[in-house]
Amino acid sequence: MSLPSKATTSLLRHAGRQQLPALRSSAALVQKRNRADSPFDASTSHAEFTSPFHRGTRNEQDTTVIPNWGKYRSSSSETGNKLFQYFMVGSFGGLTALGAKNTVQDFLVNMSASADVLAQAKVEVDLSQIPEGKNVIIKWRGKPVFVRHRTADEIKEAEDEDWKKLRDPQPDEDRVKKPEWLVMLGVCTHLGCVPIGEAGDYGGWFCPCHGSHYDISGRVRKGPAPLNLEIPEYDFPEDGLMVIG
Amino acid sequence: MSGLLNTIYTAFVRRNAVFLTTIFVGAFATEMVFDSGSNLIWDSINRGRQWKDIKHKYMSNGGGGDDEGDDDDDE
Repeated sequence: MSLPSKATTSLLRHAGRQQLPALRSSAALVQKRNRADSPFDASTSHAEFTSPFHRGTRNEQDTTVIPNWGKYRSSSSETGNKLFQYFMVGSFGGLTALGAKNTVQDFLVNMSASADVLAQAKVEVDLSQIPEGKNVIIKWRGKPVFVRHRTADEIKEAEDEDWKKLRDPQPDEDRVKKPEWLVMLGVCTHLGCVPIGEAGDYGGWFCPCHGSHYDISGRVRKGPAPLNLEIPEYDFPEDGLMVIG
Repeated sequence: MSGLLNTIYTAFVRRNAVFLTTIFVGAFATEMVFDSGSNLIWDSINRGRQWKDIKHKYMSNGGGGDDEGDDDDDE
């Protein structure tokens, strides 16, 4: 770059800078006039502002000045402050997580069955009271449950049946947990009557409403019922005791 | 002091995964401590009045569900 051009650029720059105070003074003038127009404007009447971007008392702007933030600096160490911040963030995040978890848990617990419902949902049966070849009807969740202590002959009869040809084919071992104990819901699968025990053409149950016959395994053999008698959930927690439900 | 703080910082806060894990584990621990602590306070205030305190008077011989079979109440 030649010398004359350098001189012109510096001159131009100078001129540009010189123009600023002129602008500034005119702006101040406008402000002054505004102030005179509205003497009751309390917000601007006594405001004084010294910009931190000025060096000394001169009024011209100097963008290279970095204001002194010393007044705002923390006196303790950086790590300690950082740790305190992260600790607060973390602990409040943890509290929020706890709250969220408990909210979700409350909703889920609310949906599950309450203790009184659960207590009524199970029935204990003392099996030693039921002699061989006898039926017992138990009320469970508002429905009758048939418990039959089957004899060896009946077990053999139920197992030897050609179950594949039945309307609702099911082998006997799928319907009992212990072959001597047959446990079924006493609700006819046709329209929900209660079948009569030790009756019907097949030595099992007979529904008087529409004449469905069930065999000694509770499988439908004759009549309008579409399915075998339903098997509820049951278990033998110890000898001579059965829990339905 | 600053060395200790630095150790804590690098151990727990530096990596975000570690930081989050610390938060969740801390929340879990806080819950357990809070729950068992409040249970302790409750039990100490109501000492002698709860079923578990007077159970031995009514359920003398262990096992044998004589009168009322199920006794799974309180808490």
